[in-house]
Amino acid sequence: MQRIPVAERADWRETAREHGFDFHSIDNDPYWDESAYYRFSLRQIEEDLEGPTEELENLCFAVVERAVADQEILSRLGIPASYWEYVAQSWHNKERNLYGRLDFSYDGTAPAKLLEYNADTPTTLYESSIFQWVWLEQAMERGLVPAGADQFNSLHERLLEALPQLGVSGALHIACASDSVEDRGTIEYIEDCARQAGLNTHLLYMEDIGVDQDGRFIDLDDRIITNLFKLYPWEWILQEEYGQHVPASGVHFIEPAWKMILSNKGLMALLWEMFEGHPNLLPCYFEDDPRASALGDDYVRKPLLSREGSNIRVVQDGQVSFENDGPYGAEGHVCQALHPLSQVDGNHAMVGCWLVASQPAGMCIREDRSLVTTDDARFIPHIILD
Amino acid sequence: MMSASAIALSACEEPQVDAALFDSIQQCIDNKDFSAEICESNFVAAREQHAQVAPKYRSQADCEADFGGEQCETAPYRTESGGSVFMPLMMGYMMGSMLGGRGGMAAQPLYRSADDPKSFRTADNKNVGGRTGVTKVARSATARPSAKASTVSRGGFGARARGFSAGG
Repeated sequence: MQRIPVAERADWRETAREHGFDFHSIDNDPYWDESAYYRFSLRQIEEDLEGPTEELENLCFAVVERAVADQEILSRLGIPASYWEYVAQSWHNKERNLYGRLDFSYDGTAPAKLLEYNADTPTTLYESSIFQWVWLEQAMERGLVPAGADQFNSLHERLLEALPQLGVSGALHIACASDSVEDRGTIEYIEDCARQAGLNTHLLYMEDIGVDQDGRFIDLDDRIITNLFKLYPWEWILQEEYGQHVPASGVHFIEPAWKMILSNKGLMALLWEMFEGHPNLLPCYFEDDPRASALGDDYVRKPLLSREGSNIRVVQDGQVSFENDGPYGAEGHVCQALHPLSQVDGNHAMVGCWLVASQPAGMCIREDRSLVTTDDARFIPHIILD
Repeated sequence: MMSASAIALSACEEPQVDAALFDSIQQCIDNKDFSAEICESNFVAAREQHAQVAPKYRSQADCEADFGGEQCETAPYRTESGGSVFMPLMMGYMMGSMLGGRGGMAAQPLYRSADDPKSFRTADNKNVGGRTGVTKVARSATARPSAKASTVSRGGFGARARGFSAGG
């Protein structure tokens, strides 16, 4: 795993515009960054990342299997008691999941360590699947990277295979919140894939959803929503006014409700408790667990439901070396052993491994100038070349 | 028969069917094509559907923008937060023509929009023309209108998202 500076394609912004990739820069700061790329060996990808990703997904299933039958765990994760039965049913009914992303700290030599699982609402999807691939093809054509390079990326094909297998009958509604360009771009890509896969789709905003007198969800044209892909966190859905209608609404949700167990940082403590010593896991405990003191003076404290690096505190040598503000934390925290991200010239790289229908399907690397990957992170493409 | 239907199809128009349109029971009775009993039972059937199938609005102003001043009424529904729901007044009804002894289609209510007040529209916004009495309408307009009693509230999702990306 090497970080290699490279010339940008002079026309990449035009290419992005042609592809409808319109969140490549955020507030004029680049989000898509092709001034460098990461090069991996095939062994690193297959043995250190792809294999562990598949294995960890199975360990996660073991956690869900346990959690849905254990009220103490569901309570610890902050899931309201009135939804325990609903969450458990979604698992017992084998509701299928579409996609997720495991985020690792990996340096190319030591085992990749799982930091968290974006199981419910991962973004970064379009750029991982399409724009990163376009970059590779053009960069090889133009001699910017060696010919014969490959990429850990079967996202698009896997999504087209998985979408028709979800058991969607009738139209698929696809929704996100209205005020994020990045979220909108992500659901537009999901819609594009769903249509290519032969599904009938309707895009809408979460804010536009209505409820009829029978407690069913409806869109702006008063069509009843029967299948809903929501790029919107389950914990928000359950806390908001309409959460109460979810169990009886009859809506087939994608991702299914059991995914809220995996998107919770408490997952990391549960994984460690059940599979302590696994080479791809870091010691991790709920903050109020006396065993957390075993972490000593170097650890990361994370709210159970934090997003985009908000409210993360890094403690090194007993001192707070990084802390981010944000709206999360009232729901409790976990403390995880510190395993700093691979760093080159102050660029800290997070390695995200994609799963589609629980199968490894690709990778994305995001770099941040800080120890913690935040919404300022930049997307850096990668290649595989031995 | 064969050739007639072939011509109709080659004209590439939507198939037309006979229907009868009236402003009121009295107009139906005065028309004399139908008995008072038929006029009344069809009106009652259309009237019963009205509240369920009429377009719904959360403000009177929005409803009047589509259907005209003083052309809306309060629907027998409430939003979840207790607010009123508005719908256009029923301006007429459509029923089967009874020609050829068939009972024909089920009756349904009709409305008039502000931008085209001379024509009747079904609850699903299909224009059936402005002619009362027995006339021709597109077959698709005679389908049972969809229930729109539905929306009792909107906007119960999204509060947590203000200013934050939901992604990660």
